[in-house]
Amino acid sequence: MRPAVFPRRSFFGTPRFAAFLALVLFGMAGCATKPPADDPDAVADYQQTNDPLEPTNRVFYAINNGLDTVILRPAALAYRWAVPGPVRTGVHNVLANIGLPIQFANDALEGKPRRAGDTTMRLLINTTAGVFGIFDVATKWGYPDHDSDFGMTMALWGAPEGPFLFLPVLGPSNPRDAVGFGMDIALDPFTWIGTGPNHPGWTAFKWTRTGLNAIDSRERVLDALDQIKKTALDPYATFRSLYRQHRRAQIEDLRNDNRATVPVWFPQPAAASAK
Amino acid sequence: MISRRHLLTLAAVSALLPLSAQAQSTEKATAFVKSTGDRLVAVVNGPGSPASKRSTMSQILNADVDVDAIGRFCLGRFWRQATPEQQKQYLALFHEVLVTNITSKLGEYQGVTFSMGRAKPQDEEVVVSTTVVRPNNPPTAVDWIISNPTSDPKIIDVVAEGTSLRLTQRQDYASYLAHNGNNVDALIAAMKNQVSQSG
Repeated sequence: MRPAVFPRRSFFGTPRFAAFLALVLFGMAGCATKPPADDPDAVADYQQTNDPLEPTNRVFYAINNGLDTVILRPAALAYRWAVPGPVRTGVHNVLANIGLPIQFANDALEGKPRRAGDTTMRLLINTTAGVFGIFDVATKWGYPDHDSDFGMTMALWGAPEGPFLFLPVLGPSNPRDAVGFGMDIALDPFTWIGTGPNHPGWTAFKWTRTGLNAIDSRERVLDALDQIKKTALDPYATFRSLYRQHRRAQIEDLRNDNRATVPVWFPQPAAASAK
Repeated sequence: MISRRHLLTLAAVSALLPLSAQAQSTEKATAFVKSTGDRLVAVVNGPGSPASKRSTMSQILNADVDVDAIGRFCLGRFWRQATPEQQKQYLALFHEVLVTNITSKLGEYQGVTFSMGRAKPQDEEVVVSTTVVRPNNPPTAVDWIISNPTSDPKIIDVVAEGTSLRLTQRQDYASYLAHNGNNVDALIAAMKNQVSQSG
């Protein structure tokens, strides 16, 4: 439910495609020229930006931006125009509900029992009382949503984020989040259900889900992205900065979420800290 | 002679003093954010033409936001390299750009409300947390960084969902400068262009 400034899952989300991307990336990687060592300020800037592949990244940014302008943004605008707000919210909730198993797996891998409990309750409540996830009843009942993905899990485990990457189709990322994206697909039960040519129903479901996810994520950031492109002098650098800050904040929230796992009916002082 | 008991009392009081000063500064910062927020919301949701809203907005910004400090921060290391004339031009444009950027978002924020959260000291400043709610949008966590909370409170940064307004702006400018020969005049020209385009 948090505003996803950056759509995390988009189309072409198969591990094979990710591997292909990696090949393309490292095959045509151009490198940013390092500033001369006698300019310490410039060197400090270069290190802080941590974007050694900037020229290549900018090429992919330009390609993505072009694709977005002719395909995804118009689709998102049409979606907003054709579908009333409450229905869009329902669609978003259903998509989020389908993604909860991945979230649960990550909560568990992160060793955050309270988050895993929230996710479990959200899945149970919203799938039943929320009618297949259309209505987010669980938030009202005290089980709030949170962000959780394998990139965050690896960050908590101590994996460094690495240099900035701008990936074709997927957008702003880094090696840790790119691996996380692939792992989330592997953690998704739907990746392993109904594979092969004999399941046209499942295939249709998966493509619908992927397409809707892309359009839903894009629609939710229509105004924000338009605004950034209009006001930033260097939109690429602005997206790079925003992506990093947003990810750091998500990871910081995760790290600081140490709520106790004590049932509310259990007579203990710790129960007071439970919501 | 000061007795031992007096000394102990003195020690206890002096230990408490910074604490109460801290409590005072967080309280004042919270009250400041509440009053500024109320006025901003009143402008956003209130009647009036875009032009009149822009001028009211500009007044609030100039009174409650330390725009010069934010501007200096955003220019980073180039502030020291800039000539006094460049600094003056840059700051004047920075005011314009800030007002323009904020007023162009007003439409999106129609019907906005906010609720106050916790305040905690951070170095010399106080961070006041709020939750901003827009119709048909999930609630957004917004932190306000307040400088000189007790004497002359001013907003020096706004952090929305972990993204700092001034840090993002600084990195935008830094990148623009890096690709334009580290020339502050190029940045000033680009900002002029931005202001004139938005009319």
